[in-house]
Amino acid sequence: MALLELRNVSKSFPHAAGILRVLDNISFTVEHGEFVAVVGPSGCGKSTMLRIINGLMPPSSGQVLYRGRQIDGINLDCAMVFQSFALMPWLTVKANIELGLEARGIAPDQREKRAGVYIDKVGLDGFEEAYPRELSGGMKQRVGLARALAVEPQLLLMDEPFSALDALTAITLREELLDIWQSADMPVHNIIIVTHIIEEAVELADRILVLASGPGRLVADLKVNLPRPRDRRKEAFNALTDKVFSLIEERA
Amino acid sequence: MAYSPINPIPDCQLTWVFGLLETLDDRGGRDDGYKIARDLNFKFGDLLKVMKTAEILGFVSTPDGDVVLEPLGKQVIESEINQRKLIVRERLKSLGLFAYLVRLLRAQEDRSLTREVVLEHLAMLLPNDPPEKMFSTVVNWGRYAELFGYNKDEDRFYLDQD
Repeated sequence: MALLELRNVSKSFPHAAGILRVLDNISFTVEHGEFVAVVGPSGCGKSTMLRIINGLMPPSSGQVLYRGRQIDGINLDCAMVFQSFALMPWLTVKANIELGLEARGIAPDQREKRAGVYIDKVGLDGFEEAYPRELSGGMKQRVGLARALAVEPQLLLMDEPFSALDALTAITLREELLDIWQSADMPVHNIIIVTHIIEEAVELADRILVLASGPGRLVADLKVNLPRPRDRRKEAFNALTDKVFSLIEERA
Repeated sequence: MAYSPINPIPDCQLTWVFGLLETLDDRGGRDDGYKIARDLNFKFGDLLKVMKTAEILGFVSTPDGDVVLEPLGKQVIESEINQRKLIVRERLKSLGLFAYLVRLLRAQEDRSLTREVVLEHLAMLLPNDPPEKMFSTVVNWGRYAELFGYNKDEDRFYLDQD
């Protein structure tokens, strides 16, 4: 059974001029252990799709199946990492990470222990008592990642996690994310990342779903067969990047 | 202990340094700083700070405007996260400014100082550099390396491990 299946998912919103169709008839499955990237231009409904997968909003039509069961509310097996980091400025790094655990009813001593484990995994030891405003963007996103990992999700959803960061920070965090995903003692083995940076998708993912906009629809589902670690200078890397680019461009 | 001169440290994030090392590794271990800045859409002035930081940490050398990945830099990017922190920690301890602060903290009964006192020391040691900025860089690098901690609520700058 697939981990996740979207069947003919569409989403529309009421709009001044009638109804705005954001997602149109999206169908795909995600298998266990897959790292999937969703790419497409802004306005193609990528983030909306992620919110539907997370169960934060229902599709207008169609079904989302998680481990074969239709989801009908927030999926507690998922955790999300946001472009804006979404940290509470009045809480320390540690308290921000514990907050997500509190929301899931985990006992205080367990919260502290778990937060400690993931603070260590993402390299935030030493920053426990810092406040978000004392941190660089890269450090803030490490907090966002630790907070998501601490709930030990089966499926990690990442909404443009590196788009608000400068290039050098993004390079570092992508490498760290891959290390975390590939390490055997990590509970999360499934990631869906939404990005508009094509190279990022080619560098990270096993599979790339290409969406076109107006309304958002799936135009390609590509397997990435490049060996890891992936070398951006290799011809195969560039060929795939070009292919994805032209798929998006053709329909823009 | 060997005498190490107290020099200012660039206002630079360590995450940038690791990004530079990864970039260099991707480019075969050597490239022109100007080219890297251009390709990454990074301000050249900022990239110079990153190069300088990587150099004082011993991770790169910078002959004739080029940046060259040194063996320790290669080791850093091949290390897992906590090993990487350990390497940075050892390197920081060998820098004059950090060695001075470690000695200063060790001389305190509770191994801690207020921010104000540290700022005074920084202002005396490096009168040409804004101490507030330097303090925040020292705290950031120190936290990363688990060498120093800073608790804002208690206004306590302290030795993390000894």
